[in-house]
Amino acid sequence: MATETKPSETNSSAEHIGKWGMVIDQDLCTGCQACVAACAMENNISFVGEEDSGYGRSMHWIRIERFWEGVYPEIKMTPNQPMLCQQCLSAPCEPVCPAYATVHSLAEHINLQVYNRCVGTRYCGNNCPYQMRSFNWRDYERPKPLDNQLNPDVTVRQRGVMEKCTFCIQRINKAEDAAKAEGREIADGEFTTACAQVCPANAIVFGRTDNPESFVSQLARIHGHGVKHLEELGTLPNVTYFKGG
Amino acid sequence: MSDKFSRRDFLKLAGVGAATTAIVTGCGPASRYVQREPYMKMPEYNYNGLSTYYATTCRECAAGCGLVARTMQGRALKIEGNASHPLNLGKTCARGQATLQGLYNPDRVTDPIKRARGSASAEKMTWDAATQVVADALKKYKPDQIAFLVGTAPDHLFDLIADLATATGMNAPVRFGALSMFDARATLSKAAENLLGKSGLPFFDVGGAQMVFSFGANFLETWLSPVSYTRGFSVLRDGQTKRRGNFVQFEARMSATGGKADEWIPLRPGTEALVALAIGRLASELRGGSLPRAFAGVDPADAAAKSGIKLETLKRLANIFAKSTGALAIPGGAALGQSNGLAVAEAVLALNAIAGNFGKPGGVFFSALAPTQTEYQRPASAKEMQDFVNQLTAGKFKALFVHGVNPVFELPASLNFKAALQGVEQVISFATFPDETALESDYVFPDHHGLESWGYQRVATGASQPVLSGSQPTVVPYYNTQATVDVLLAATKLAGGKFAQALPFKDEVEFLRSKVAPLMSEADGFFSALDINTFMAYFQQHGGWWKTSDGRGVPNVADILNRDLKGAEATFAGEGEFFFTPFVSPTLAEAGANKPWLQELPDAATTVMWNTWVEINPITAEELGVNDDDVVRIVSEVGTLEVTVYRYPAIRPDTIAMPFGQGHTAYGRYAANRGVNPADLLGANFNEAGDLAFAGMKVKIEKTGKVQPLSRLESIMGVYGVGMGKE
Amino acid sequence: MAENNKHAHNSEGYFREKHLMLDPLPRGQMNAMAMEAMHHSTWKFWTVFAILCVIVAYCLVYSWIKMILEGLGIAGVNRPAYWGVFLVNTVFWIGISHAGTFISAILRVFKAEFRRPFTRAAELMTTFGLVQAGFSIFMHLGRIWLFYWLMPYPNQRMLWPNMHSPLSWDLLAITTYLLSSTMYLFLPLIPDLAMARDRSTGWRKIFYRILALGFRGTEGEWTHLRNAMTIFAFAIIPVMFSVHTIVSWDFASATRPGWNSTIFGPYFIVGALHSGMGAVVMVLAIVRSTMKNMKYFIRPEHFDGIGKLMLIISMAWAYFFFNDYIVQWYGGDKWTHLLLHFHEAGPMGWMWFAMLICNIAVPWALLWNARWRAMPWVTFAVGLSINIGMWFERYIIIPISLTINRMPFTWRMYQPGVEIPLGIGTLALFILLYMSASKLIPLIPVWEVEEGQMVHELKKFGRETVVSVSDLE
Repeated sequence: MATETKPSETNSSAEHIGKWGMVIDQDLCTGCQACVAACAMENNISFVGEEDSGYGRSMHWIRIERFWEGVYPEIKMTPNQPMLCQQCLSAPCEPVCPAYATVHSLAEHINLQVYNRCVGTRYCGNNCPYQMRSFNWRDYERPKPLDNQLNPDVTVRQRGVMEKCTFCIQRINKAEDAAKAEGREIADGEFTTACAQVCPANAIVFGRTDNPESFVSQLARIHGHGVKHLEELGTLPNVTYFKGG
Repeated sequence: MSDKFSRRDFLKLAGVGAATTAIVTGCGPASRYVQREPYMKMPEYNYNGLSTYYATTCRECAAGCGLVARTMQGRALKIEGNASHPLNLGKTCARGQATLQGLYNPDRVTDPIKRARGSASAEKMTWDAATQVVADALKKYKPDQIAFLVGTAPDHLFDLIADLATATGMNAPVRFGALSMFDARATLSKAAENLLGKSGLPFFDVGGAQMVFSFGANFLETWLSPVSYTRGFSVLRDGQTKRRGNFVQFEARMSATGGKADEWIPLRPGTEALVALAIGRLASELRGGSLPRAFAGVDPADAAAKSGIKLETLKRLANIFAKSTGALAIPGGAALGQSNGLAVAEAVLALNAIAGNFGKPGGVFFSALAPTQTEYQRPASAKEMQDFVNQLTAGKFKALFVHGVNPVFELPASLNFKAALQGVEQVISFATFPDETALESDYVFPDHHGLESWGYQRVATGASQPVLSGSQPTVVPYYNTQATVDVLLAATKLAGGKFAQALPFKDEVEFLRSKVAPLMSEADGFFSALDINTFMAYFQQHGGWWKTSDGRGVPNVADILNRDLKGAEATFAGEGEFFFTPFVSPTLAEAGANKPWLQELPDAATTVMWNTWVEINPITAEELGVNDDDVVRIVSEVGTLEVTVYRYPAIRPDTIAMPFGQGHTAYGRYAANRGVNPADLLGANFNEAGDLAFAGMKVKIEKTGKVQPLSRLESIMGVYGVGMGKE
Repeated sequence: MAENNKHAHNSEGYFREKHLMLDPLPRGQMNAMAMEAMHHSTWKFWTVFAILCVIVAYCLVYSWIKMILEGLGIAGVNRPAYWGVFLVNTVFWIGISHAGTFISAILRVFKAEFRRPFTRAAELMTTFGLVQAGFSIFMHLGRIWLFYWLMPYPNQRMLWPNMHSPLSWDLLAITTYLLSSTMYLFLPLIPDLAMARDRSTGWRKIFYRILALGFRGTEGEWTHLRNAMTIFAFAIIPVMFSVHTIVSWDFASATRPGWNSTIFGPYFIVGALHSGMGAVVMVLAIVRSTMKNMKYFIRPEHFDGIGKLMLIISMAWAYFFFNDYIVQWYGGDKWTHLLLHFHEAGPMGWMWFAMLICNIAVPWALLWNARWRAMPWVTFAVGLSINIGMWFERYIIIPISLTINRMPFTWRMYQPGVEIPLGIGTLALFILLYMSASKLIPLIPVWEVEEGQMVHELKKFGRETVVSVSDLE
């Protein structure tokens, strides 16, 4: 159900603005990792080096999962599965943070990570069924002048802080601000997340899932056989996957 | 892009930062960067919180994708694709995304330096002295004693040198890149010459097809123009607005491309031509009518036996190929990198005749030539590079200028490029990064990074329209580097005489204008203008110029089915039981190893990061008694390498594969002393077209007893069940 | 019936030797023995003390500071095992601390007289164990310097901790437990502190005088003290149950396969008692053999009594473990099955078997025999085995179970790093605190022993000699 928000009425951040969601087509995803690179560049994600990345400490906010089916020569790669924070509507990570560092955004209907409140208990990391949360195990070095590249719209995280995909909330906020300033709604496709923007196969589509006319909603409708991962847990994820094939 | 500026202002200030780090010489090409403005009139990129966007072209490979760089206060923050650029339509690959880590890499060459070859230490010079060195080299040696070796990008530098060479009698510049070597472009070009009417780079319209048979072409990774081909693949797979298209991948090692295929045919290396011709024959037989001469020489049962693919499978494949309304066959990758690579290319191209798709949607075209280009200029093949190396060794060249390519790393070690440099008196490198070739040079006069540069790049393939992609600086040069074009222009002026006459341009921008100006009289441009200033402003603003009309060539295939196509198996160099298949790492490609986030990207097929591995079938691994993370020694006829094992289930048991991209000994802290370079195992074996038969070797595997864990993003427990306990 | 051989001896002497409660000494003498035990120290004591100080300085202080400065990267936690040995140690120390409360509160309420000499030793374990638990839980925080954000205090931003989170419940529960058990330790200590005050000189006198709060032993003071202790004894029992239940809910409230099990509450409590009892016998055996005069106060009968408790608790633990396992097994969830299989057959399968042997097989094999039970070093060995087994159990529940989740792409083994020296540091600190306490306060509550001795007497009924206890309360 689409909810109309008159920008002139809004001055509270809790006002319902839109429900952001994604559709990911696993049939199209080639596993090229462009989304991973784009996300890292957009969100100031640290690189951790060989040892830590092999020990489950890489900071990827989105990762491409692939498995195998069958045995040689009848062997297939399973459809590439880009996994990112599902921005669950009933997120298991939220109730368990003792410091309220991960809360639900009533306006954008996504799960927020408040870096400057996080104390680092990592309960949220344990409780995420998709295991999409990254923890800053160290202060990872960015030798000068690599830090010139840092996006000023995104906080750089300290050691001891949990982080995760935010659906590029900095872009959401920019678009919302621009739309509000001009007294209009955000147009579908006016902006998108870094991963969706770069995907050469157009496998990731981002938009308002509460607007039935948005591209995201249309895709979900037409395709018909979208799945939500680990749906049985009742997390109500905001990302729909098309297995395709 | 802001429209508040006049075009004149735009030209003046585009690419120019506040005069904080500008070179205050006041004259010469660098003076372009010095501007004085009152404090009240801030340049648009200095408004707090507002970003300025510049259109430019990616230089991480030769494809020429259009980029838009977001900058804020003089710093480049994010790269996006240029949404209106016909090649990539707003998308980039992972390497394009990470190009910022090249711009701001901590290990760039910061000043012009003089060094003793092979030593890491160097002494800084001034640019005036550097220009003098270049001028002296030009004057001192005879024109045919000077050689330029450049990379596959950027084209404007290549054109400058080509013009200089033509005017002064110097040798035409030689172009080379590892990617073009692994793309086997010479083979594709020669096959086109033989079968399609003229030489050129074919374009395969995957997006318009319905059933794609790819023989080794890893078009979703690095082959030719991956962003464009990936878009084509996504259109092929679209099952919403049309029937979902399928594709079958024929290769001994399942690549990331093969992983997306609906079917993977693990044929024995060397039998691709046989299999293609067998399918052609079976399909023709299904169609009925007389058997074309092209397919008459093959016996499908023989092909089945030699390739290890069952005859029923070949028949089934032939059936779906013949029955499909949009069949397309693509030759590429390791299939062409064998001794019979040309035969493979021809056999596969001939298959398209069954589909009758030449020049039709979903079929084979000639890639659109860039505007004002009359023929495809391909990079040098490996054989041509071998000839070049021989000339170096023989001392034919006294001065060698190197730009945009790292032959000490990219060429197989067996071609002995490094040793050949002994025969050259002066090696001058324009490398932006301290790579292996720069280390072997007498001077390094660093070029700007691609994001700091003017220029253009012709789009060689991937777009339907002719595209000339433009580059402009997105930030002020971070270090004391200079555009190589500017250096050459200054040096030729210093050298005087015919050199100065050959290049009568004040600076790089003026040179660019001279090259772009002819486009004003071309038809069908997506923009036009009456004066050169306006035209250049639009060229910069949009990131290039392209036509709105289709520029792809239609192949002349009148008698393609009448050719006598040979389907012999490839021959393999070296002794050993295993076919050796190197492939270009889709994340690192040829030059990505110095960018830490590219190193941290998991490989699409194995998810390994920061290292090199050798893929061995688990059955073979068990027979050899090796396990994951064991280090083995691969022995070829020209070298040995020690590398860690990855037990890879989707590869033939008689084949092993290794990614190319690591194994640097220089090139910065993130690249150096990491992994191994499979080019060290490759011998000087070529196919009929002169491309390296990089997949044409057999090797031995020896155990070393050492262990070196690989960093995988995947869980070896979760994906392979290793260490999960007995069932 | 025929007379038992044992009865052939001087029955009274036999009883006096066996039972502390039947072996009274003049009160002054027992106090003097307790004071002497405090003052007397050997070079061995100070050597061990010094070594422990060094261990604490390096393993705890230095390593912790290094970890704070460099981040948790030097520990072994990763994705998916975000929690590791720090949490294992936390649960372990909280578990040990339960024994103290059980002995001093529950045994007191149930009037089990054999508890009298060692309630303080057990309560000290509780307090010092909770200190280590507190350290361990703080260690695992990513930004420990901001730990106070987990506490409810009014601030300008109107931020409060999230009471939905089991970790917030933990904070309240453990704080409550620490405060109340410290007070419960202190209350019965007052008379002994007063006794020590009256028998000390110098700095000790000042120290005891401050702590004794002016206790003179009047009837009124004793009445108040007894009332307070009774209230606390009853009040602290539910705290004991709730603390470990809440700690178990850190895991049971989560979504992880293997964690999301409703049996965790009582399972953890029984596990805590299991390891706690084992730790108590270990401490008692060491105290008995290293401190002067302790052989009078702590006798084989006490080990026998605790040994019986250990056996029963071991059976209870076995039941709860079986319950947890069988429910997960017949529940049929694919991931839980994978996890169970991973526990038994994976690379750490040896730990699973070791846990069962240490927790069930060893106690069941040795504690049936009354003679063995009464041997301090046998029960010490069983206690050590149980503690190792229970540490393994928590290791299996936390890092090993975290390895398996519903996203197989992420499964990864956990390898402890700096957690090991830090854990050793907490153990060393525990022993260090204990050794310091043994020098500073009387370890035996002599007044309680005396109280018990006063009401125990041997009565002869014909040829039978029976111990009778008159009701005190």
